[in-house]
Amino acid sequence: MSVTIIKPGMHSTLQNLGRWGLQAFGIPIGGAMNTESAMTANRLCGNEDDALVVESTLHGLVMEFNDLTVLAITGGGCRLLINGEAAPFNRLIKVIAGSQLKTIPSEKGCRCYVATPGGWKGNTGDVLSASYILSSEATPSTDAAAAIVIGASGFGTGNWKAPEKELPDVHATTTIEIIKGPEWDRFTEDAHHAFLNEPFTVSANSDRMGYRLNGPSLHVIHTQELISTPVTRGIIQVTHEGDPIVLMADAQTIGGYPRIARVSSKDLPLLAQCRPGSRIKFANFFVDIPHPFLGVRM
Amino acid sequence: MHYPRIYPIHDYALTIEFSNLINEASHQQVMQLKREMEDNPFSGYVESVPAYSSLTVYFTAPATAERVMQEMQSRMKSSNTSAVHTASRKIEIPVCYDSSFAIDLEAVMESTGLDHEAIVQMHTANEFNVYMIGFLPGFAYMGTLPAALETARKKTPSTKIPPGSVAIAGKQTGIYPAASPGGWNVIGRTPVRMFDPERPPYSYLQAGDRVQFNPISLSAYESLL
Repeated sequence: MSVTIIKPGMHSTLQNLGRWGLQAFGIPIGGAMNTESAMTANRLCGNEDDALVVESTLHGLVMEFNDLTVLAITGGGCRLLINGEAAPFNRLIKVIAGSQLKTIPSEKGCRCYVATPGGWKGNTGDVLSASYILSSEATPSTDAAAAIVIGASGFGTGNWKAPEKELPDVHATTTIEIIKGPEWDRFTEDAHHAFLNEPFTVSANSDRMGYRLNGPSLHVIHTQELISTPVTRGIIQVTHEGDPIVLMADAQTIGGYPRIARVSSKDLPLLAQCRPGSRIKFANFFVDIPHPFLGVRM
Repeated sequence: MHYPRIYPIHDYALTIEFSNLINEASHQQVMQLKREMEDNPFSGYVESVPAYSSLTVYFTAPATAERVMQEMQSRMKSSNTSAVHTASRKIEIPVCYDSSFAIDLEAVMESTGLDHEAIVQMHTANEFNVYMIGFLPGFAYMGTLPAALETARKKTPSTKIPPGSVAIAGKQTGIYPAASPGGWNVIGRTPVRMFDPERPPYSYLQAGDRVQFNPISLSAYESLL
């Protein structure tokens, strides 16, 4: 079974749940920005959670199916057209050879995930360019296909359906829960107040490594060089200029900026669906109680 | 601040900070805990990442943050931090300090007051400890430089530093494994490939290695390429 990428859209890559075990050599974990949607797409297809899926940012992806193919598409950032007809998210879809999938603009979300039974062949992080041929080991079994209704246009959907996830709307403000970071106490009261009360906008200068945020400047009480420590996805670093950066999937392994907070892991998928221009507000996830371990206050 | 300090940086990762200092004693503790985790991993252990004075332990189910926190505490209590000093790998790295490679030589001479020969002498006199790999895959943070060789980072980072560039900043020295923007002062270049995506474990150096720089001529550099 193979699929030809006609247009990769804004940015399309193959992703799984990341490459682990190599961070000590400076190799980032990577993997899907929205791991929850990637896993859902895989589960709809009966795959392992870690199977490779296509992650496509916003819209513009066009893929042509060279064979009969079963797919599940999750996430957001676009609407789906198959042979010009609207196709659903979060369901198994069967397309016949020669069909085309196209993603067109939507005002909700930022990234969609395309899975197929057996998973796509390749490596996590592979960039899909025009004329790239995607393939899968597995041919869809006729049993799996039997549950699927074939439409007049050459695609149909099965009865399997995953619950729809909340997607941030470009016109709304999305609340993201945070947990105070290891250097929270180094920031001024003004910075704490602004961080938890004022909106931030995801900057155009954001990518899979990190989201840069525009908004109030956040200042530390004393400027003091920090010793670099390991960092990971979700950590919110603040540069010397006072600009916050939320580290995302391709985050470097080590960082040296003060960490004001981290995004709760429950809200990381939601944040991954925010796009440049999206407005977000941070809400404190935990009440400020002394941490029971080693007298550390979180 | 009390040390050691343990805190989560994600649901799947805890950091143990031994101090807020860059010194070999703290780093020894970091490396010792890392070895202990690797030699005797708990169920759900994934990997641990060393930094100057901290170790971050990544885990998955069935481990939970609470359990790993307890595990780390008991391991730190039971380990004899002063005794074990395992053998480090000793690695010699040839470096050509020719002025054609030493992009920031002028700036370094000006800020340190040292001449070219003295800079090379100081950079090659002693072994350096590899504290951690980060910033870029295979980028080794090494130290500690003699005080006389300390320089500030460049105010405006260079947009493209060539691969193999050997650079200094503050008390640290490092080698750029790939072409990259960077703010450190470049004083030479090595023909050694610091990162090879085809050959596990990919990074030429790892935390805990002892590195000795050896000065080589331009022609020796070319012959080693």
